[in-house]
Amino acid sequence: MLGELINPYYLQVSSFILINIILAVSIYITLGTGQLSLGHAGFMSIGAYTTAILTLNYNMPLVLGVIIAAIVTGIVGTLIGIPALRLQGVYLAIATLGFGEVVRVLFINWDGLTNGAIGLSGIPHLGREIFNLSKSMGIEPDMFGLKNNQFISLAVFFVLLIITISVIWFFVRQNNSRIGRAFSAIKMDEEASEAMGINITYYKVLAFGQGAMLAGFAGALYAHLMAYISPSDFDYHRAVEILIFSIFGGSEVIWGSIFGAVFLSAMPEFLRFINEYRFMIYGALLVLMMAFRPQGIIDVNMMNRFKRLMPKKRGEKKHGTGNKEDQ
Amino acid sequence: MVLEIKKISKNFGGIQALTDVSFSVEEGEILGLIGPNGAGKTTMFNMITAMYPPSSGVISFVGNPLSNLKPHQITEKGICRTFQNIRLFSDLTVRENVMVGNHCRLKTNVMQSVLRTKAQKAEEARVLATSDEILEVVGLANDKETIAKNLSYGAQRRLEIARALASRPKLILLDEPAAGMNEKETNDLFNLIKKIQTLNITVLLIEHDMPLVMRVCSRIIVLNFGKKIAEGTPSSIQNNKEVIEAYLGVEEEDELA
Repeated sequence: MLGELINPYYLQVSSFILINIILAVSIYITLGTGQLSLGHAGFMSIGAYTTAILTLNYNMPLVLGVIIAAIVTGIVGTLIGIPALRLQGVYLAIATLGFGEVVRVLFINWDGLTNGAIGLSGIPHLGREIFNLSKSMGIEPDMFGLKNNQFISLAVFFVLLIITISVIWFFVRQNNSRIGRAFSAIKMDEEASEAMGINITYYKVLAFGQGAMLAGFAGALYAHLMAYISPSDFDYHRAVEILIFSIFGGSEVIWGSIFGAVFLSAMPEFLRFINEYRFMIYGALLVLMMAFRPQGIIDVNMMNRFKRLMPKKRGEKKHGTGNKEDQ
Repeated sequence: MVLEIKKISKNFGGIQALTDVSFSVEEGEILGLIGPNGAGKTTMFNMITAMYPPSSGVISFVGNPLSNLKPHQITEKGICRTFQNIRLFSDLTVRENVMVGNHCRLKTNVMQSVLRTKAQKAEEARVLATSDEILEVVGLANDKETIAKNLSYGAQRRLEIARALASRPKLILLDEPAAGMNEKETNDLFNLIKKIQTLNITVLLIEHDMPLVMRVCSRIIVLNFGKKIAEGTPSSIQNNKEVIEAYLGVEEEDELA
C-alpha cells in the first residue's frame, strides 16, 4: 500500500527543493545585513568539492566530509567577507561575482585534484550510505513494504527535511534575538547602527561567513545527492538562481526566501513545457518584481497580518525583528 | 568634567571646518552649541562620536582620550547621539528601535541566542523592560508596536532620543532635536531634555531654536566659521556683540566706523 504511494522521482525533486531552501536561507542571511552577494554559487562549489575530495580521496565518512566542507566554506567566506566590508551594494555584487568565477575557473584548471571540467563522479551517495547504515542495523526496506529505491529516496528526503528544519529553526531563533536586531538595523542604516553601538564589522562579517558556510553546507549535500559534480554546476546561473529565490520570495523575512526557493524549484516540475524558458521567465519575473513588489512576494506586513490570524501561543512572549507582541 | 575638547581642528581638503576649538562639558549640565549654518557644529559631533577623526587636537571623555576608537566603542564608553536628519531604523517598530539602542549593553552571542539559554532569556526580558521604561520617559509608551516610519515627525525625533538613551549614555549629544517641530512639540522637548538631566545624563545640544536654547541650557558655546566666538550663560550670549553680528550681520555704519 505504502509502496504504491511513494514515487522516488517526486521525492528526489523534493530533496532538491530542500537543498534550494538551505541555499535561499544562506543568501537571506547575507542579504539580511544589506550585503548583496553573487558569490554563493562559488561557496556552494567549495563545499561540494571539499566533501567530494575528502570522501573520494581520503575515504572520509560522509558526515565528517559534509561538516568539514561547511567549516572550510565558512572560513573562506569570512576571509572574503573582511575585504568585502569596504564594498557597498552593487560593487560588492560585482566583487563576489568575480570571486565565484575565480573559484569555478580554479576548479576547472586544478586538474589533479578536481578532474577539471569533466568533474568528479562516484561521490558517495547519501541514499546509499543511509541504506547501508540501516541494513547494518537490521532495517530492511521490505519491512515497510518498500522497494530499495523507494526506501532510499524516502530516507534521503527525511534526512534532508530534518536538516532543513534545523537550519530554519537556527536562523529564526537567531533573528529573534540581539543578533537579528543588529542585522536588521545594519541593513536599514549602517552609520546609525554604528552610532548606536553596534559593531558593524563583526556583524557584517558574521552574516557573510554564516551565509557562505550555509551555502557550502548545501553544496556538500548537493554533491552527495547527485554523486557527480562539475564546475558547470556552480556557474553564474546558479548564483543568480540562488539570489532570485530570495529576491522573488522576499528578502525581508526568512519565510519569503523559503517560499521563493520552493516555488521556483517546484514550478518547472509542474510546468514541464516551460522548462526551456526557465531563465527567460526568471528574468521577466525579476523585472516585474522590481517594478511592482521590490520587497518580494512575502514581506513583513504580510507576515504580521498572518501572525494576527494565528491563535496566540500559550502566553509565550515573542520579540525581536519582524515579530509583533500584543500590548 | 565629562567631555573635554582641546584645540580641535578639522579640515576637509582645503576647507577649514573647525579651527582650534576648545571647550569642556561639565557633569550634569545642559550645554548648548550654537552658531549659524556651516559653523561646524555637526562636524564637532561627528568627531566626538568618531565618525571621522579630527585633523588635530584631543577629545577626552571622563579623563580618557578618545583616539583610535570606532563609533560603536564610543557608544559603549557612554556617549550617544541623535542625528540632525532623522535616521531611525524606519521599518522596525518603535520598541525594536529602542531595543537596538540597548545593543551594546547586552552580551549574548549567537549560540546563546539560538539555544535560548537562561542568561539570554533573562537578558531579553531586561531589554524589554528597559525599552518600555525609556519609551515611558519620552512619552511613546502607546506607540510601542508602531512602525517607526509611521510616527509623526515630532514623535520620530523623540524616538531618536529614546534610542540614544537606551545605550545608557553618560553624555547625550542632541543634533537639532527641535528642527521642524511646532510650538507644542518644542515645549514637550524642553520638558524631555530637563527630564534627561534628572536621569544624571549630561546633555550637549545643537539647536537653532533660540528660545528653546535660552530656556534649557545652563551654558552656551557659540561657533562661527569653525571658530569659537563666545562662551557663557544664555543672558551673556544674548548680549554678546560678536554673537549678534554672527547671526544678524554687521550694520553698514558700524563697519564704516
